[in-house]
Amino acid sequence: MKPLKNITGFFFSLRTTLWSLFLLVAMFLAGAFIMPAREEFQTIHSAPFSQWLARQPLSVTWWLWCSLGILLILTVNTLFCSIESIVKKRKGTNLLLLISPQVIHIVFLFILFAHLLSSAGGLSVVAAANEGTMFGISAENDFLRIRDISIFASPDGYISDWEVNIEYLSGQGVILTDKIKPNQPSLQMGLNVNVKDITARPYKAVLLQISKDPGASWALAGGILFTIGIVTLIIFRMKTERISSRSTSLPHKP
Amino acid sequence: MLLLALSFGAYLFSLVKKPFLYIGLILQTAYIISRGFSLGRLPLVGPHDTIAFLSASLIAFSIPFSVILKKQPLFHNGLAITASAFTVFSLISKQNNAPLPPVLKTLWFESHVVLAFLSYALFGIAAILGYFYLREKDDNAEGLQYRAILIGYCLFTLSIVFGGVWAYLAWGTYWLWTPKELWTSILWLFYGLHLHARLRQWWTDRMLAYLGIAGFAVVLFTYLGVSLLMKSSHSF
Repeated sequence: MKPLKNITGFFFSLRTTLWSLFLLVAMFLAGAFIMPAREEFQTIHSAPFSQWLARQPLSVTWWLWCSLGILLILTVNTLFCSIESIVKKRKGTNLLLLISPQVIHIVFLFILFAHLLSSAGGLSVVAAANEGTMFGISAENDFLRIRDISIFASPDGYISDWEVNIEYLSGQGVILTDKIKPNQPSLQMGLNVNVKDITARPYKAVLLQISKDPGASWALAGGILFTIGIVTLIIFRMKTERISSRSTSLPHKP
Repeated sequence: MLLLALSFGAYLFSLVKKPFLYIGLILQTAYIISRGFSLGRLPLVGPHDTIAFLSASLIAFSIPFSVILKKQPLFHNGLAITASAFTVFSLISKQNNAPLPPVLKTLWFESHVVLAFLSYALFGIAAILGYFYLREKDDNAEGLQYRAILIGYCLFTLSIVFGGVWAYLAWGTYWLWTPKELWTSILWLFYGLHLHARLRQWWTDRMLAYLGIAGFAVVLFTYLGVSLLMKSSHSF
């Protein structure tokens, strides 16, 4: 029983949180210097992250593998500590103050899950195209065609706006039409179709990016939850925390 | 530029006469507003405008802290010196007067940048409070540093959320593996570590003060170092 107690004690401990965060910062710091120096990272967005990672030599990705291990520990630790906190303080008077930090912890898990989904199933393809170009976008004979490209320039020659009209086609012909504008991608058929670059000369052309990011909705849900959690936390924490009362207002953790 | 130069003078002179810190803030705010009107957009692109905004935010956010600390000279001088240094950097940086590319004309971008710099300002105040605590051993400073970091952390996280939404709309993904994103993660984890460390009694107030100061060094590198020295989606 003692090894089990040791393991649960490890995952319930705030010390584990601190060490995990410290080691994660250390790994990311190492990565921050390795990443710009190694050309392997130039291709990081060319395939789903998990596939890219599996193909790269360990000598350049060791910090990412270590980070994944630490994040796994941190995930279990976050779950354990959040449950423990709710159980211990459930008789407290202020429910919102009790759950708002846990909401933020859940958001952290949402974001990790979003990254997991994106790294497993995300894809991104980039291709140059002009008016009339057609791409296959699925195995079921679905196509995407650039109908027309409009570019608007300011009097001093800068591109001030642009608009790309596209059509989705299947065997029966055009099934729907859509418009891509700056910060307004076409979000149809589970794809994000956007324009990475655009030019008017020598002829109107675009660098079209077709991507799929299955983690995006989880990340967005996490972002919305975070906003709710943090507003609640700040309002209630500021009310309850006395400025110089660290020793009286904070729990004594092992 | 005259208003910005005058604000620099006011910040420096505030080392002698305290109210000049707020005159500097008014001048700098006037400069930022005038830049916004002349450019016809939010003046938050490039180091010249962003660091002027950071400097003004630092002083604006410091007001409630100054009131609680009853205008302690060391805290006041720390603010004045930091704001002066930022203003000098802004003065010597090249202005970006070009119209915004279409992809930057969105509320997501504006919110992302504004929130990021407001959080940087709060992290700056936290670092000054940390220094103040180490010198004066004033317990108020430790509590105030925690508040500055907590609110700064929230704004910083919101900035990341807004940036993620914008990136998804503009580039098809909410996350890009570039040095800027990596340093942003380091910063977020670092302050997360600070907020959690405070829950453990083993971490003394002194250590937390040092951590708060170190955090601002990470902020400066994330903002200036990465943008100036490394190739990323946030290069100047």
